[in-house]
Amino acid sequence: MAGILIKNAFVIDPLSGIKGEVMDIAIKNGKIVEEEPPGAEVIDAGGCLTLPGGIDSHSHVCGTKVNFGRYMSPEDMRAGRTARKGVMHVTSGYSVPTTFGNSYRYSTMGYTTILEGAMAPLEARHTHEEFNATPHQDMLANTLFDGNWSIMEAVREKDIARAAAVVAWVLAAAKGFAIKLTNPGGTEAWGWGEDVQSIHDPVPRFGVTPAEIISTMIRANEILNLPHSVHLHCNNLGVPGNYQTTLDTIDLAPDLNSKRQSLYLTHVQFHSYGGSTWRDICSKSEDITRAVNNRPQVVMDMGQIMFGRTTTMTADGPMEFKLYMLHHNKWSNHDVELETGSGIIPVYYGRKSLVNCVMWSIGLELALLTRNPWQCLLSTDSPNGAPFVKYPEIIALLMSRRFRENERRMIDPRTEHFVPLFAIERELDWYEIAVMTRAAQAKALGITCIGKGYMAPGAEADVAIFPIMPDKVDPSVDFQQVMAGFSRTRYTIKRGRVVARDGEVVVEGANSTIWTKAHVPDAYDMSLDPEFQKKFEQYYTVRMSNYPVQDVYLPRGVRIDTEAQL
Amino acid sequence: MRVILKTRPREKPRIPIEAEEIIPQNFLRKNEITVFHGNKEKSLDDLFFVTIEGPAVSPDQVEVILTGDTGVIKRVGEYMNAGRIIIEGDIGMHCGNFMSAGEIIIQGNADAWLGREMRGGHILCEGNTGHYCAAGYRGEKRGMRGGMVEVKGNAGDFAAEYLSGGEVIIHGNCGDLPGVEMRGGTLVIGGDCARPCGNMTGGTCMVFGKASQFLPTFRANGSQEVEYAGKRYRMNLFRGDVANRGKGTLMVRA
Repeated sequence: MAGILIKNAFVIDPLSGIKGEVMDIAIKNGKIVEEEPPGAEVIDAGGCLTLPGGIDSHSHVCGTKVNFGRYMSPEDMRAGRTARKGVMHVTSGYSVPTTFGNSYRYSTMGYTTILEGAMAPLEARHTHEEFNATPHQDMLANTLFDGNWSIMEAVREKDIARAAAVVAWVLAAAKGFAIKLTNPGGTEAWGWGEDVQSIHDPVPRFGVTPAEIISTMIRANEILNLPHSVHLHCNNLGVPGNYQTTLDTIDLAPDLNSKRQSLYLTHVQFHSYGGSTWRDICSKSEDITRAVNNRPQVVMDMGQIMFGRTTTMTADGPMEFKLYMLHHNKWSNHDVELETGSGIIPVYYGRKSLVNCVMWSIGLELALLTRNPWQCLLSTDSPNGAPFVKYPEIIALLMSRRFRENERRMIDPRTEHFVPLFAIERELDWYEIAVMTRAAQAKALGITCIGKGYMAPGAEADVAIFPIMPDKVDPSVDFQQVMAGFSRTRYTIKRGRVVARDGEVVVEGANSTIWTKAHVPDAYDMSLDPEFQKKFEQYYTVRMSNYPVQDVYLPRGVRIDTEAQL
Repeated sequence: MRVILKTRPREKPRIPIEAEEIIPQNFLRKNEITVFHGNKEKSLDDLFFVTIEGPAVSPDQVEVILTGDTGVIKRVGEYMNAGRIIIEGDIGMHCGNFMSAGEIIIQGNADAWLGREMRGGHILCEGNTGHYCAAGYRGEKRGMRGGMVEVKGNAGDFAAEYLSGGEVIIHGNCGDLPGVEMRGGTLVIGGDCARPCGNMTGGTCMVFGKASQFLPTFRANGSQEVEYAGKRYRMNLFRGDVANRGKGTLMVRA
């Protein structure tokens, strides 16, 4: 590989402290290098905005529930069809596209790394197989621990070391990346048709509370030195008045790590509702952002909703059932034995619906009211809030007050009585957008150690060049150009290869799957623990020896090793 | 303008022709109309003898006449919004998909998915029609939303599935589950049918023949006189489908 030289790039690279300089970038052997490699292919960026490859820190693109969303929605497969072209496979689908559809669309938007938001360990093989068919992005999988019986028993015994040991074993077995808690306790209670209403409610039949699960897991996470923090989907998603639960949860977060946050809250928009019923739902984004502004140990992502059709899918079974009771549309609920559950429902977010308009506003408010862009990341919880192809529109909304005012005229006129959005004058700049779409994600996920999220020499050569001239475009006025620019890169470079050009994918991809292995002393190796073995064989329908995902499922796995403090 | 399309003899007459471009408004454009013969894209001339008579300035004045071996032609009249199509024979699947205005007259039988998810306009089928007449496609929760489909003969299973507006009249018998998941509009069945209107939430269905295997989830709601084909009939009224919190009306001849 001769290498690439990108000339005249307008670089914003927050992690390296570059806030907009015209410079050259040299790439060799998939890495950014200091000196121009001889015989390099020259790409003239011509002053265009050049950012590190995008990172999505919470998206549902691969796995059993995503695939079930595809099964359930043949009508969704009628949208977004593209024919085979060059190296590109046939794609179809809008809110739950085929794996190649996901990969190509992310790639043309400049995204090179995606974290799958929820993988049930028992169903990890399916997720990894779909990862292999998402060829243009490096993939990571959050592993669900919210209803894991062994974890809940350890929590009940107040044995943090044992919880850590279980996490270490399951992560290594499922080849997962980080700990995901989805409605901790609630999803498992749903196995008996119950749910929890606050983080201090005991989980029926387990004698623990969600608060205890969260606190224990945060500490277990730090004992294992995992790259990412606990990734939490709070309790009471989508319930009017749930902001109190979210504030209580934020209060639980200790500051344990100097390099990154100690608690990652995902799709906080769905957790920032005031009021008590759907009739008086209002925005509590100010309370939430005030709490987050005061706690550098917490990072959240927006979970913005955008108007239109989409599919919700989450491990939060009880919430999906409540949603079904509202919509009365087709639905799915699923229990993963001893671990977690899931639910899927197609939804439509309409401009005519006041509730949806309030939700839409809250997401934007979270991003605009959080002072430090490193603490509020851009996401739609794709496809729950909207398919990820809407990211450019969200960027434009955040960068342009005029665009927000235009939208205001289209939505339910009562909205402004329930939300503070239209009083916010802040418009984000290019640097803040670069932080919110790649740098902060890399930092929050702790993957800067493997060269993600920045472009200094030594980093992975993941680069996105957008057809936007930051010195000529005024984003607050030319929001249409911003939107068009972010939806189609001029070049997307993945590990030193141009993978997409002007909206077209030009090579067959070869991604890698990033997973973590925490090394624990033998005394904490769960595969040697007789009690764990006994319970496993007694309760699981699979044998313990068949449970771990074999290496063959990860042809290009990248392992992050950590040393546990046990 | 009158466009006459007569099928040319083909070596393999069973290969379906996908002809979503055969709609009146397309004959006003200058560029060529193409159709798919199996998986090969062909020009209209390759498969049809095309005769065009007279001028037209708007699609309303265009009349397309299909003759010959038309039973394997699919998707005729898809997204049609004006004019008239007359089919002198049978027609293949998906005739009149999504049409919003205009008229289609089928003098023979129609295959499945006749007028699926149509928004407006008028379809008349002189013969029988296949399954899923005037229905919604796989997974789609709203089927036909407006316009009218009239079938002189019989219809297959799942007629008017997901009907949410407009009128469907089937003078003959229907197969299993007509009007299932109906949420609006009117369905009239002149003959017999089985298990009508399962899961309906709205709209009106009238059965003038015999409704066999009647679903138990309908609540009797009096009777009423209705006129059909020049005669007055006394009908038993039912509300339902109760299993789906439905507020639809199902009438069956007393």
